[in-house]
Amino acid sequence: MLGFLSARQAGLDDPLRLRRAESTRRVLGLELNKDRDVERIHGSGVNTLDIDPVEGRYMLSGGSDGVIVLYDLENSSRQPYYTCKAVCSVGRSHPDVHKYSVETVQWYPHDTGMFTSSSFDKTLKVWDTNTLQIADVFNFEETVYSHHMSPVATKHCLVAVGTRGPKVQLCDLKSGSCSHILQGHRQEILAVSWSPRYEYILATASADSRTKLWDVRRASGCLITLDQHNGKKSQAVESANTAHNGKVNGLCFTSDGLHLLTVGTDNRMRLWNSSNGENTLVNYGKVYNDSRKGLKFTVSCGCSSEFVFVPYGSTIAIYTVYSGEQITMLKGHYKSVDCCVFQSNFQELYSGSRDCNILAWIPSLYESVPDDEEALVVSS
Amino acid sequence: MSRKRHRLVPEAFGQKRRREGGDVEADPLRGESGSARAAVAELVRLFPRVLFEDALPPIALRSQVYSLVPDRTVADRQLRKNSPILENKISLHRSVQSTADHLTLTPFFSLSSLWRQKALQEQGEIRIIQLGFDLDAQGIIFTEDYRTRVLKACDGRPYAGAVQKFLASVLPACSDLSFQQDQMTQTFGFRDPEITQLVNAGVLTVRDAGSWWLAVPGAGRFIKYFVKGRQAVLGMVRKAKYRELLLSELLGRRAPAAARLGLAYHVHDLIGSQLVDCVSTTSGTLLRLPET
Repeated sequence: MLGFLSARQAGLDDPLRLRRAESTRRVLGLELNKDRDVERIHGSGVNTLDIDPVEGRYMLSGGSDGVIVLYDLENSSRQPYYTCKAVCSVGRSHPDVHKYSVETVQWYPHDTGMFTSSSFDKTLKVWDTNTLQIADVFNFEETVYSHHMSPVATKHCLVAVGTRGPKVQLCDLKSGSCSHILQGHRQEILAVSWSPRYEYILATASADSRTKLWDVRRASGCLITLDQHNGKKSQAVESANTAHNGKVNGLCFTSDGLHLLTVGTDNRMRLWNSSNGENTLVNYGKVYNDSRKGLKFTVSCGCSSEFVFVPYGSTIAIYTVYSGEQITMLKGHYKSVDCCVFQSNFQELYSGSRDCNILAWIPSLYESVPDDEEALVVSS
Repeated sequence: MSRKRHRLVPEAFGQKRRREGGDVEADPLRGESGSARAAVAELVRLFPRVLFEDALPPIALRSQVYSLVPDRTVADRQLRKNSPILENKISLHRSVQSTADHLTLTPFFSLSSLWRQKALQEQGEIRIIQLGFDLDAQGIIFTEDYRTRVLKACDGRPYAGAVQKFLASVLPACSDLSFQQDQMTQTFGFRDPEITQLVNAGVLTVRDAGSWWLAVPGAGRFIKYFVKGRQAVLGMVRKAKYRELLLSELLGRRAPAAARLGLAYHVHDLIGSQLVDCVSTTSGTLLRLPET
């Protein structure tokens, strides 16, 4: 550490190198901390979490009872012991609360004045944060599994919605219409995600084992269907053109948008090159997945080797993205974990599970471990 | 748990580990370091040839290689031909340099030396066979062993000619797991009666209309013993108190009658296919059934 600091001071090293090394060290030391807590508001399982991309200060959570809660993550008290309090919530008594379980919530990518939530009651609702009123409602014919708004889009305000039907719908927030439909999948769409690199590229994952990459400006079908065997049918056990041998549950782009991670119910996670759709064949081993709806996992940002945090039963597994090595499993929840989000400013991980808890995983402080006998003798 | 984390931490700063030896147990099974070829050679030695009267070539499983080579991606790459990661890594390198950040993808780049070692399948040294009982279960056989056993099995039979033609022309040319109809008729010049003879010989197994898996003649007995043995050894762990067993204790027990292929053979497979979790303890490796 001191070596890094002096190299940075002398100009031998890029300043970013120390930052990345320290971020990686902090991510490797993630654990539960007695000093940090998230207030327990939810009365049923937490399905989704989202941290606002502007400041990284506010977190939204959506529960299985339709309740949406907004937490303030910043520690403004001078004490080390801090509970993340709920600032406000859309409870069961709110006139516009969702009737059934909230599946996805997302902050508006450019400021915290607005957020969107989609639910099993076949609606996507757009909320004004300050007044907690609904600004707009989009109704669909089928239950909504997932929605996503592009974090880098400046030329469009499209929200991609994945429902139980095979068509991906794009809703325009500016005009209030959802007339753009992407056809190509054959079963329900379990996850959608915009690329963080190109504002028109969308990835969708479906229960028919296929993952498709779309350019929404293009009228004729998808760009690429991801094939786990890279076109070599001879290596394939089952039919080609499938991303997994089961339903594809979750999608996550890496923070630079160059790679895409998918998880499926065949207990596998795959890393794809997002520009040509090639399976990089990195082997993560068995990534246990029995979720019947989408699995929300996340990738770290700002470390020297990126990490992916995947809910694995009632624990969270951490893998290195590009080499497939399992770093550790974070144990703490009592029931299955549904979602996790990474706060990249402080390298903290928040996870929500079916046991109604949101746990905060904080980097542990580097305390020297006295394991030499001389130290013990000196202290006694 | 906190001790293990602090061991990971100094690596982030690029320093060497100061403590050695405390975490490497003298493990009867984990002696291997790195190479998939050495792993396959050692596993092939575990195979009980006597049981099959030397009619079957020694088969190792892919999951067993994973238990000996801890990094799965590296093991896959060494076993497979023409890994697409090589081209992918080059394109990643270029796009990384074009971004403003100076990414230090240290674990990724350090694998470049292993890529220079040519993949075994590409060299034609091993064949990978799809064993039908599980999607993931693939057997690995040395090509020489396979060739000698197949020739011995079809000696004097009416299909010997077709089998010899197959071994001479198709095996060296095409290192895939399965073959298509047009590939067999046009590229290699096999007629339909010859293909039927190959299926009768047991060298090909029908997959669906117009495609065949490569197969080992007489492998049915092996698969039967393997599936029963796997369930038997897994049952031994399941019946233990708290559903966990020390590896040394498991290997020291008497093999159940169903595990004809040997305890060590099955334990390698269970560890590699993650049917049991390996927990390193102070008394050695502990095998525990996963809770999920």
